[in-house]
Amino acid sequence: MKKRVIASLLALPLAVPAVHAQDNAVRISGFGSGALTWTNTDRAEFGRPNQASGADKHVTTGVDSNLGLQADAPLNSWLSATAQGLVRKDAEDDFGAELTLAFAKAKLSDEFSVRVGRMGLPIFMISDYRNVGYANTFLRPPTEMYSQVVFNHLDGVDGTWQHAYGDTNLTAQLGVGRSKADLAGGLTMKGDNVTVLNLVAEHGPLTMRIGRADTKISIDNSTTVNGLLNGLRAAGSGYRFAQLNQLADDLQLHRKKASFTSAGIGLDWNDIIVQSEYAKRKIDGYANDTTSWYAMAGYRVGKFLPYYLHSSLKIDSAVANTVPGACPAGYPAACAPTLAALSNGVNRLKVSGVGQGEQETDSIGVRWDFYRSVALKAQVDRVRPQNGTGLLIAPQPGFRGPVTVGAVSLDFVF
Amino acid sequence: MNRLMIAVIACALAAPAMAEVVVVANPKAAEASMTKDQVAQFFLGKSSAMTPVDQAEGAPIRAEFYKKVTDKDASQVKALWSKLVFTGKATMPKEAADSAAVKKAVAADPKAIGYIDKAAVDGTVKVLYTAP
Repeated sequence: MKKRVIASLLALPLAVPAVHAQDNAVRISGFGSGALTWTNTDRAEFGRPNQASGADKHVTTGVDSNLGLQADAPLNSWLSATAQGLVRKDAEDDFGAELTLAFAKAKLSDEFSVRVGRMGLPIFMISDYRNVGYANTFLRPPTEMYSQVVFNHLDGVDGTWQHAYGDTNLTAQLGVGRSKADLAGGLTMKGDNVTVLNLVAEHGPLTMRIGRADTKISIDNSTTVNGLLNGLRAAGSGYRFAQLNQLADDLQLHRKKASFTSAGIGLDWNDIIVQSEYAKRKIDGYANDTTSWYAMAGYRVGKFLPYYLHSSLKIDSAVANTVPGACPAGYPAACAPTLAALSNGVNRLKVSGVGQGEQETDSIGVRWDFYRSVALKAQVDRVRPQNGTGLLIAPQPGFRGPVTVGAVSLDFVF
Repeated sequence: MNRLMIAVIACALAAPAMAEVVVVANPKAAEASMTKDQVAQFFLGKSSAMTPVDQAEGAPIRAEFYKKVTDKDASQVKALWSKLVFTGKATMPKEAADSAAVKKAVAADPKAIGYIDKAAVDGTVKVLYTAP
């Protein structure tokens, strides 16, 4: 009897907040991470994809901390509206707020719904909840994979169809629209004519997905790139190297065809957790064609979930540098240094900008679900840039890596 | 103080074993019975054909239901729902304060599905599944 009383008393304060749920009320929910991140070097910074600055030996909160707030409003039995804002450090040096979701959803049947507005772009296994630390095992999405598409959202329309074939649930999602992202350095990346297909099959503990996204991509406001392109065209016309004009056209990222094809697998079987993704990016223009993948394995021990993660990013191909190595006899003296500078600029393009470069990372970490709706994570990464400085930010001359990154994060949902 | 903590923890662990959980729906629901996996898909957000009604967070019956029907503990279930909620694919199940409130919600909605203590079953709801 006494036990019952104590149990009831314990349950009471927990139960009270739950009673308010009502049918047509607006629901406010949120997620967030409070995190500290540091590295073992001051000669380069480590950040998440598209951050303007990152962590070095000084502990920073900016890399892995964020806060999201969401409102869901059912309008009637089949129509609802959702808005979500996210505060984090992205592209700029300060914490900034962005509108990550803003859509109306019409549930046309038990199996089919249509959304209009701003949705998450479903190109990764965890694409549209990659910022929700609590929903993921690892402390941050693998940089090698998740730097490959900077777009977060789709402004347009999508339809989702869900059907059960026996014990297998199939979800097919097709979206069309456009996307835009602010990049570090004040640049803007635009995606026009976006089409995205996402197929997910779930069978018991196993989840498999394949996806494909196509767009016409542009970065028009990079003064560095535009300067280089102007230089190539001026030299091409001035010195009559027709291939330089062609090279400038090939490099220029203006409404160029881009695609991202990806597959993923997830397993949550008894105490075993496995998650892996593989993706190929193809972009006409100076952004590299790349292959990225990662594999994570974890094993649940009570409330603890230790895990290991390996991730990799490789360049498959980049636009060939056709700048001539020498000037024909009789050309002006300025010709040779001009060509050398242009050639150098072209070579640098494939390792400049967000997600450009080659890198591998091994990580170990642990997630501890120590309290309801709150998880504490710790992760150590060994980041190894390949053929340059990888995805590290602001590398100093001569920096080569590898870099060790440490982070602890308190992830929560409410 | 330590003793008290142990008593409290023991109590929290011991309490769930006492209740027997049954899954209930509106008497008008088409289904006469369900398998464990069928029930689980509504409570894990994999199907929206029925509307799940949860018990209060922290209630022993809730932990027992998820352990027996989905093989998952509260934080695993919460992480799963976080994926759906924060992508705008679904909203968290409504919560009712206790078995009586679940019965009321289920009796009022032909698409609702809930779970209650077996002792609370009466004519206002239909039992679809009994947890072992």
